[in-house]
Amino acid sequence: MTDDLESKLRDALRPAAPRENFEERLMARIAAAQRDPVKRRGAFTPTPATWWFSAAMAATVILAVGVQHHRVDQENREKGLEARRQVMQALRVTNDKLDLAYRAVRDQSGAIGGDPGA
Amino acid sequence: MDEQLAQARAGNLAAFGTLVQAHKRSVYSLALRMLGQPDLAEDTAQEVFMQLHANLRSIESSEHLGFWLRRVTTHRVIDYLRQRPSVAITSLDEEAEQIGSVDSGDPLLQRQLRQLILGLSPDARAVVTLRFQEDLDPLDIARTLNMPINTVKSHLKRSLDLMRQRIGQSS
Repeated sequence: MTDDLESKLRDALRPAAPRENFEERLMARIAAAQRDPVKRRGAFTPTPATWWFSAAMAATVILAVGVQHHRVDQENREKGLEARRQVMQALRVTNDKLDLAYRAVRDQSGAIGGDPGA
Repeated sequence: MDEQLAQARAGNLAAFGTLVQAHKRSVYSLALRMLGQPDLAEDTAQEVFMQLHANLRSIESSEHLGFWLRRVTTHRVIDYLRQRPSVAITSLDEEAEQIGSVDSGDPLLQRQLRQLILGLSPDARAVVTLRFQEDLDPLDIARTLNMPINTVKSHLKRSLDLMRQRIGQSS
């Protein structure tokens, strides 16, 4: 049955011929397309040159965005480092002042404590 | 044929005409069996040969030419059928109901088989047409349609089972 069906399908699908003037119409269309390539394309179809131009533009935009992002990132990092440096400086100054105050208090305490023995 | 191809690639329109003459039945019939409409099939075949003329430089040999034509034709028709599912895509059940009983006479049976093929999905139509019109084996069909070979075999088996069932029901 399978072989029978398959052979019947082959019979049913024997190649058919198009109308007689098929080649003439085709050649006329090709000749017309060669005369007017814009009309042949109809809608816009990118040529290799326009494709490469578009790709280059896209790559440039992506690169510019990346560079800008990197620059903003770098600026933020520098601002952070500067802030850290200022905080450290402030701590150092505070520390020095506290140290001075501590010494002053200690010296004063030593002077008071030494009087009775004098 | 390779010489005709070389001349066509060099811009010889007469040589291109010889290539068209050699392949027009195959291209037109592929489109016709999958679309079921002669006018639409002719338009499709003309578009395929227009595309061939514009891409002759990419054709390497006569074997490649045959492969290229089958591939472009089937993909064009499948795309067309997917965009316009109302054209001829009906379920096999509906198709079988529309065509009624299958007569044992050969010309009518052939017509009924072609109608049954038009009831298949676009991919299955392409597989069956390439198998029984172009006599391609499943591996070549898979390459032509860019489809896994198991999918090709599955389409073939299911399509034949359905057609056998319909014919069996009506006889």
